[in-house]
Amino acid sequence: MTAAFQPGGRATPFQVSEEKYSASMATEPLGTRVLFRGTISTVNPATVLNPFLDAVHDEVVKKGERAVRVDLRELEFCNSSGFKAFIHWIQRIQALPEGQRYGLRFLSNPARKWQKTSLLALSCYAVNTVAID
Amino acid sequence: MKPPWVFIDEIRRFVESFCACAGTTDNREAQLALAVHELMQNAVPHSHDDDVELTLEVEPEADRVAVAVTNRCTDAEYHALEERVARMNGEPDALRHYLQAMHDTPTAQRGGLGLARVRFEAQLELSVSRTGGRMTVHASGRLRPAPLQTSGGSR
Repeated sequence: MTAAFQPGGRATPFQVSEEKYSASMATEPLGTRVLFRGTISTVNPATVLNPFLDAVHDEVVKKGERAVRVDLRELEFCNSSGFKAFIHWIQRIQALPEGQRYGLRFLSNPARKWQKTSLLALSCYAVNTVAID
Repeated sequence: MKPPWVFIDEIRRFVESFCACAGTTDNREAQLALAVHELMQNAVPHSHDDDVELTLEVEPEADRVAVAVTNRCTDAEYHALEERVARMNGEPDALRHYLQAMHDTPTAQRGGLGLARVRFEAQLELSVSRTGGRMTVHASGRLRPAPLQTSGGSR
């Protein structure tokens, strides 16, 4: 795993990278976008993804943003252990005082058909937090 | 087949292509590939370095699909899984059980969500059996199921 913090950078101030997948956070004109790439299918990806998403969460709260775009368009697959990282993120958001909570807007890829049902389930889990584009 | 982790991704891709060739529609091939991935990933750590066996049956005329994954197990492992599957099947609403599993399963540890995910997202019924020292997780259902339903309607 690699992790990097670049205070002056705009493209990827936070990122993690494993052999088969990577995740990064970018600050863009539309706000924060978190990009996932590759195949999340290792034994326990939460050990990599949870600390990354904790860092993203802290940064988004610090900036007072109301929504984050979660870009899955280049994510080929995510196993249930990786899926739990998104649940962990949602639980962190739901633990915030109501005025500090923000939404997750998932950008999906119609060609990655698993995303449709997985995001459907996630939106049922967190009706007020998750939106799907 | 000795299944190093890396093979599971290749098996998932193969199953998705195979099912698409067998005439699945909508998202079915992706749902079945997801089911195979999750069941294989559950089996490998419990296989005690023995073979893991995968069987996939696609019967378009009968509108049926069945996945079975077999691995070596101890008595304790079998009974723990048998109890878990029985508890899951005790909740008739697959989505309700899945959402409860999301809520209850510690997010920092692996495991605990895969079977519930297979049941809801792949729309397959799960059962478990044992022959000799090997257990099989069976997942079966319709090849052309109705669209997934949630409390807000189909999506």
